[in-house]
Amino acid sequence: MNHIILKTENLTYSYGDGHQALKGISVEIKEGERVCVVGSNGAGKSTFFLNVNGVLKHDGGDIYFKGQKVGNSKKELNELRRGVGIVFQDADNQIIASTVMGEVSFGPMNLKLPKEEVIARVDEALEYMNLSDFKERAPHYCSGGEKKRISIADIIAMHSEVMIFDEPTAALDPLNAAMLEDVLTRLSAQGKTLLISTHDMDFAYRWAERLVVFCNGEIIADGTPVDILADDAIREKANLRKPMMLDVYEAMTRHGFSSMAEDHPKDPDAFNHWLGQLNQMQASN
Amino acid sequence: MVIHWLWVLPFVLLLIGGLIYKAYRHRGEHHHHHGFGHKHGEATIAVDTYAYHSGIAHWNPAFKVVLSIVLLLFCVISDSVEVSLIIICFTTFVTVVLGDLSFHHYFEMLTIPLVFLIVGSVIILINFSWTPMTNVILCLPVFNFFVIITHDSLYVTVHLWARAFGALSAMYMMSLSTMSNEIFSVLRKAHVPALLIELMNMIYRNIFIMADTQNRMRNAAESRLGYVDYRTSLKSFGSTISNLFIVSLKRSGHLFDAMEARCYDGELLFLETEKPLNAKLILMALGVVAYCVLVWVMTRGV
Repeated sequence: MNHIILKTENLTYSYGDGHQALKGISVEIKEGERVCVVGSNGAGKSTFFLNVNGVLKHDGGDIYFKGQKVGNSKKELNELRRGVGIVFQDADNQIIASTVMGEVSFGPMNLKLPKEEVIARVDEALEYMNLSDFKERAPHYCSGGEKKRISIADIIAMHSEVMIFDEPTAALDPLNAAMLEDVLTRLSAQGKTLLISTHDMDFAYRWAERLVVFCNGEIIADGTPVDILADDAIREKANLRKPMMLDVYEAMTRHGFSSMAEDHPKDPDAFNHWLGQLNQMQASN
Repeated sequence: MVIHWLWVLPFVLLLIGGLIYKAYRHRGEHHHHHGFGHKHGEATIAVDTYAYHSGIAHWNPAFKVVLSIVLLLFCVISDSVEVSLIIICFTTFVTVVLGDLSFHHYFEMLTIPLVFLIVGSVIILINFSWTPMTNVILCLPVFNFFVIITHDSLYVTVHLWARAFGALSAMYMMSLSTMSNEIFSVLRKAHVPALLIELMNMIYRNIFIMADTQNRMRNAAESRLGYVDYRTSLKSFGSTISNLFIVSLKRSGHLFDAMEARCYDGELLFLETEKPLNAKLILMALGVVAYCVLVWVMTRGV
């Protein structure tokens, strides 16, 4: 599980108008990692994603996928696109077919798989996203949450090893956001490598094992969520909000409620557990 | 002369019977959509949904496409009013009764080309003359000239009208019951060049993107009173249009990125449900075409 699946070295990219969106990005993503990519709007997150997927062609630097350097030939780019799937932020911009089944089949069909395999993958992906009853529906008339699920099924059907989610929780209601988190957890349990950009620090804090902070086209920090989000200088620079659980935890330790118990509870359940341990310890003292 | 119109009668009765049956089946249901023309503020054009909700959406798409094209060609080639009327009645029956499209919507769809048809045919129908003419249907003095309708011009107009309307309703039968991707896949199977199909597909998709973009911007402008009076409307409309191209271009760029991200390499391929051919339908289609041929043969030269 420890070898590097995706690596960029000094990756640079400029848009046609001369604006340099990526100024030397070097990052190594290990297989099976849960990475959250954070940073303010326009920090270069989406551009980075499109580059490591091969849709945008980088100006400088190198991309390595599974140890192989990815060149500019169509074959190599398609190999990269097969291995790295993107779920775009706006499902409306991703959905192109007029039935859900056709939509999910688009990727596998482009991989020129035999028809039986395509059907099997589509069924599997629809089942995974709980969309089996939607097969014949027209995706453009589905609700926002359903569209998001369809756009995720699109990528699941491609069996990409690395899955990128560009701000998946934006524009989702709480129920759908919870569904999404559940899907992400399941995918991660299956060994998929997940890269997720988000502005939701509470989510990044409890879900990610690693945080990569983008700021003005550069990576300014890379490490565990606790390390990064507890660091005021980084948070200030990248305009990140401190997660509520971390805030509460720090306030409590400041007031002397620190414990030898498990550190940094990341969600209310863990916090509850942590408080329980704290109580026990005080009682035994 | 009268005997020839009897050929059309079975199909007129079929259509009337079908409409009565449809009205009977839908009795007691409320009509939500009153008024004429399409509603503003809706996100997408309705045409696509009609095909999607059509009662005959499960028919084999190749069958529908071939039947419509055969009827269309026959309607144009035969140049017979009787045949055209039969085709109009039959295709309307298929679309409205079997396809269960509301007659109101169907008529609404027809009005767009009908306007062109009427304007075009009026010009052929009417002649102008400085002197009055005899042995004509109408000779109307206007100021110092005469508006004249002759037997010939009426004949030509009726024929033109019947042909165009017949061809139109045959095409509508196809487009209101077959989804675009199915039509494209039928064309692909018929070995139409991939480039053409791809172009059609892209253009079709971008029409929807533009319509949708226009709709969103219109709604946004309207909510800020951008259409409060005629002058403001014009101004808002103008700036909406000039933005439309930029925004649509951006959106289609995003769409293309998303397609490329999923390994798109020049051919839009989708998995489709198999819709098997039905022997009964083929028999029905053959019957109708045979009947049209029979009518054509029996009524020519009169």
